[in-house]
Amino acid sequence: MPVEQTLHEYEGASADAELRRRLVYGDESALTEAYAAYGGLVRAVAVRVTHSPAAAEDVAQEVFAQLWSRPYGFDARRGSLRTWLSVLAHRRAVDWVRSEARHRKAAHADDSALQAIPDAGPGPDEAVVDRERSLLLHTALAELPRTQREVVHLAYFAGRTYRQAAVELGIPEGTAKTRLRSALRKLAESLAEPPDPAWERGA
Amino acid sequence: MTTDHDGVRELLGAWAFGALPPQEEKAVPLHLGECESCAAEAERLRETARLLGGPRGTAMINGSAERGGPSPGEPEGLLALALRSRPAASRVAPHAAPYAAAVAGLQALLRELAESEPSWATPVVHDWDVHATVGHLIAADEPLARGLGLDRREPVTPAAEDTPWDVAWNARTADVIAYERQRTPEETVAAWAAQAGALLATPEALDPERAAHALTLMGIRLPVADHFLVRAFETWIHTDDIGRALGLAVPPPPGPHLWQLVRLAVHILGMALGTTAPPVLFTVAGEEGDERDDTQWVLGSEDEPVRAELVLEAVDFCLLVGGRYAPDEVPRGTSGDEAAVRNVLERAAALSWL
Repeated sequence: MPVEQTLHEYEGASADAELRRRLVYGDESALTEAYAAYGGLVRAVAVRVTHSPAAAEDVAQEVFAQLWSRPYGFDARRGSLRTWLSVLAHRRAVDWVRSEARHRKAAHADDSALQAIPDAGPGPDEAVVDRERSLLLHTALAELPRTQREVVHLAYFAGRTYRQAAVELGIPEGTAKTRLRSALRKLAESLAEPPDPAWERGA
Repeated sequence: MTTDHDGVRELLGAWAFGALPPQEEKAVPLHLGECESCAAEAERLRETARLLGGPRGTAMINGSAERGGPSPGEPEGLLALALRSRPAASRVAPHAAPYAAAVAGLQALLRELAESEPSWATPVVHDWDVHATVGHLIAADEPLARGLGLDRREPVTPAAEDTPWDVAWNARTADVIAYERQRTPEETVAAWAAQAGALLATPEALDPERAAHALTLMGIRLPVADHFLVRAFETWIHTDDIGRALGLAVPPPPGPHLWQLVRLAVHILGMALGTTAPPVLFTVAGEEGDERDDTQWVLGSEDEPVRAELVLEAVDFCLLVGGRYAPDEVPRGTSGDEAAVRNVLERAAALSWL
């Protein structure tokens, strides 16, 4: 992996490292602080993917349980805690939707994939199709290269401008801009492709 | 301001995500009005971003999720459930808190190993792998456990009454490691954690007054409170050893704990140097960003003028005393009589009571 030039020291880096230090040494108050700072982001990411506040609650609990029980999983030298939690919440949320789809499939073996999307109550066909396409997109987002995925999380889920995201990731602004565009183009292409057969089987 | 074709095209990803700074936002619509290919690309990317935000406009497209702060729900309940996934550091008196934290820190690190079996055999220090290093800690915690009246544990090492403590200790640690090697790493970790937990549950860990009396352990006579600090020191140093071996960065103990260790190490170093060594003004520098001022001591003779100055960072000083730096390798600032400085560094490294 190429070493990225660090243009600016991300101002939260030392705060993240200090939080990790306290988490490692079993200080519960560090988890409370992490939740106060990022609980909203984690839930919001999960809701966008699952469209279910209850599922988002479960995802948030899993995410903060993982931060607490496996503090070494977060390495402050490799990125911000904000990005790490956002990516983790997203991955867990996508897993939740897939598993939900699998259960519904098992229950209604001949239902189409469209109806496998959770909470697909009666509604216009367009909304149902949107739900499926949203899931396809989130699956594709979870599989983007790490460098692209992180800048999408900051710019999109965490509401940063591409310039702020560049500072937080320690990359040039032009790189952040290019990665956002490449990521979004790749996601757009994933919509054009047929669904992943492995996913269709519920793998 | 960018209004050219190439410049705007580069911005389209950030634009579709709503991630443009205000001063750049105007350039995009101006250009899209006159460029069909960019308009088509923009529409495609915007629609993709819209779908990521969820259908029916239920989720925010451009807003920051964080600005609203945590949504209602029950943070206490959620955190209580999350906290069940790992015990917090034991709540004990301040003199035992660094040990409680160090135990929690090693447990957290060892959880990383449980996920990947072969790493238990990763070489760490001396001729120990991870498994044997945890075995060593069982032996190293034992004298304090025995001193506080906790039960003797397997295996039994016979020792003559007049055996010097270091000979007896070497025999004991070898016996314990050999015994633990017959068991699974999980059993060894459980045995270490159980003994550590028992130490942290003693009245001496909970009540400073009960920890004020002195005990001679491993050849050094200290108040029980300081023996708890020594346990914290050694547990952290070996956790750091294991982390280095595994490529995982082990943070130094939290600031207040680190300084408790520093003060104890300076005290022991001062005793080792005695009152006739050439005096050195010794400064331990606080960590970057730490509000605590640097702390100074005069080591050696109090009857002569200071011959030299030595500055070490807190973590480096601990690693030197812990035997993890050679005297000539530790990063330092010095001035004055080099021989006097060397004397301090060599005495500190020779302490290596870990």
